[in-house]
Amino acid sequence: MYDRLWAPHGLVRYGVAPDHPEVKNCTHKFDAAATDPRFKFFGNVNIASSSEPSPIPHSFNIALSKLLPHYTHLLLASGCTIPNPHPLIPYSSYVIPALSLVHWYTDHPAAAGSPPPPLHKTKHVTVIGNGNVALDVARMLLSTPERLGRYDVPAHVLDVLARSQVRHVSVVGRRGPTQAAFTAKELREMMNLEGTSFVPLDPSMIQQAEEGPKLERQQKRILDLLKKGSAQKPGETEKSWDLSFFRSPVGIQLATDGDNSDYPVTLNLAHTTLSPTNSAVPTGIHSEQPTSLVVTALGHHADPNTPWYDPSTGHVRNEAGQVLDSNGKIVKRVYTSGWAGIGARGVLATTMMNAYSVGDRILSETYPEAFNSDITESASDGIAVLPTEVNVDAVPAEIEKAVQEGKITTYEDWRAIDAEEVRRGQETGKERERLSWDEVNNFLHKSSA
Amino acid sequence: MSFSRTALSSFSTAARQRTSQNALRYREFARRGYSYVASRDSVVSRTQNPTIAVGMWLNGRSRQLHSSSIREHGQVTRPAPGTGITVHFKDSKGNLLKTIQGNEGDDILSLAHEYDIDLEGACEGSVACSTCHVIISPNHYDLLPEPEDDENDMLDMAFGLTDTSRLGCQVRLTKELDGMTCTLPSATRNMFVDGKKPTHH
Repeated sequence: MYDRLWAPHGLVRYGVAPDHPEVKNCTHKFDAAATDPRFKFFGNVNIASSSEPSPIPHSFNIALSKLLPHYTHLLLASGCTIPNPHPLIPYSSYVIPALSLVHWYTDHPAAAGSPPPPLHKTKHVTVIGNGNVALDVARMLLSTPERLGRYDVPAHVLDVLARSQVRHVSVVGRRGPTQAAFTAKELREMMNLEGTSFVPLDPSMIQQAEEGPKLERQQKRILDLLKKGSAQKPGETEKSWDLSFFRSPVGIQLATDGDNSDYPVTLNLAHTTLSPTNSAVPTGIHSEQPTSLVVTALGHHADPNTPWYDPSTGHVRNEAGQVLDSNGKIVKRVYTSGWAGIGARGVLATTMMNAYSVGDRILSETYPEAFNSDITESASDGIAVLPTEVNVDAVPAEIEKAVQEGKITTYEDWRAIDAEEVRRGQETGKERERLSWDEVNNFLHKSSA
Repeated sequence: MSFSRTALSSFSTAARQRTSQNALRYREFARRGYSYVASRDSVVSRTQNPTIAVGMWLNGRSRQLHSSSIREHGQVTRPAPGTGITVHFKDSKGNLLKTIQGNEGDDILSLAHEYDIDLEGACEGSVACSTCHVIISPNHYDLLPEPEDDENDMLDMAFGLTDTSRLGCQVRLTKELDGMTCTLPSATRNMFVDGKKPTHH
């Protein structure tokens, strides 16, 4: 397993919100699987198929072509790492992708050199998007260090939150409550967030949703939560948040006093309604929203440099996990799973189910006798990029050398760092305290790259 | 324990069939056994197959080396024969997988793991995922206490949700649930091997 990050576990460590620690219990299974003597982990390895610089400054870089001769099978599980930008609201110092905040509060190596969000001079935040990432970010921005102190939140993040001036978060979506992608759990957490009140929705909006087409169970429960609102009402709490449904951002400009104002930018919002096919259509009405910071949470796509990337879908071209080239031909023994294969959607169970099904596919195609399957390699017509026989115990020479030089982390390294992060966390009564790459090197007594 | 193509092709037909069955069992076992400590009883029942015994020995060795990193979820003990509460586990097509016995207070997820039923529990019973979703027989479902908000929030996202669905980790046995059926939901993991089940010899 090659990971661009020096720590394993991907989004479980770098995506799951810190105040959802139970979700991270699945790492016990990962740790158990890693005890298999046939498993090798190489962290901090950026596998490039182009000359694009690595987003991780300290990563060990190797071309995919250098690795392919050493393996009979290849699985791409590199996720969807690029946030979808808003077509009309370009990034700037006032407009950032939600991913940058998630990287900040999960101590992602790509964020190591970046300045934190300027929350000390941010009063009002507008989050564009109606998924769980939008609510996660809203919840983190409205949280106090006291609430988050015991979780896996880095000390530097708690420092920024301690000086935060954020008083209101507005979550903007271009459609309505019935189309919102966030789940009841996250909505409930926002309604119960201490010290924060929800601006009640216009009752007619909820009524319309209830009288509309038949609702799924989850949608009904979400409408109930929206109706109920928060226990405290705006005015009773220092902080508040709202859901601005049926608002589509169409432009942004600097406010006349610019930086001196509490609300240095103004978002232009087109009011929308639903078409008969449930898409958002403008009504012609516009309004303006003064704000201090805009955060876009509009989903993700895979890195276009990912091998066999399909621009029309935003992830690796495949058919049920079997990778296809741009002519639709099977790339023999090359597979993809997780978000790299299905796009950035679903919860942990979704990705787990997909991983199992692709794993089963790999096994049944490699050992058809064991599965009484008809699918054999010779039966498929495709292109070959991998050898059929390798020395299974050999590690590519460049990788071996980089491991010895301390540029690549192994799973044993991870276990040691894992224990050290937990130990450091215990000193301040928290789940763990993250180590930086420099600290990792010092701790492992290896020279830094 | 490798099943390389070269190794398989050198076996006799009979040996190859046995190896195929073991390959399947090993696959199931490997996915199950690494995460959850088997009870003494299940260890004894599995050692009748020497291939599995070797696998278990390897697994046990690695557990000794790394036992601190493997957490156990709700270990259960098996009741004396005839004294327990009967639960039938069925697959998504309604075929009986296993009829097991549990004690009062045992939760369905722990029981499934004890008896090697293919029920996932990614968050280890903390109501943070939907992977232990089961469908309860309707008359027994009605006897269960209502799910809390947090369980309902997770059920919202479960595959193949039904009117009698629950999270296995939240269903605890009582005497009145004797004879309950828990059916695994219809989201297939084995998208490519479904319909190509091996014949058992």
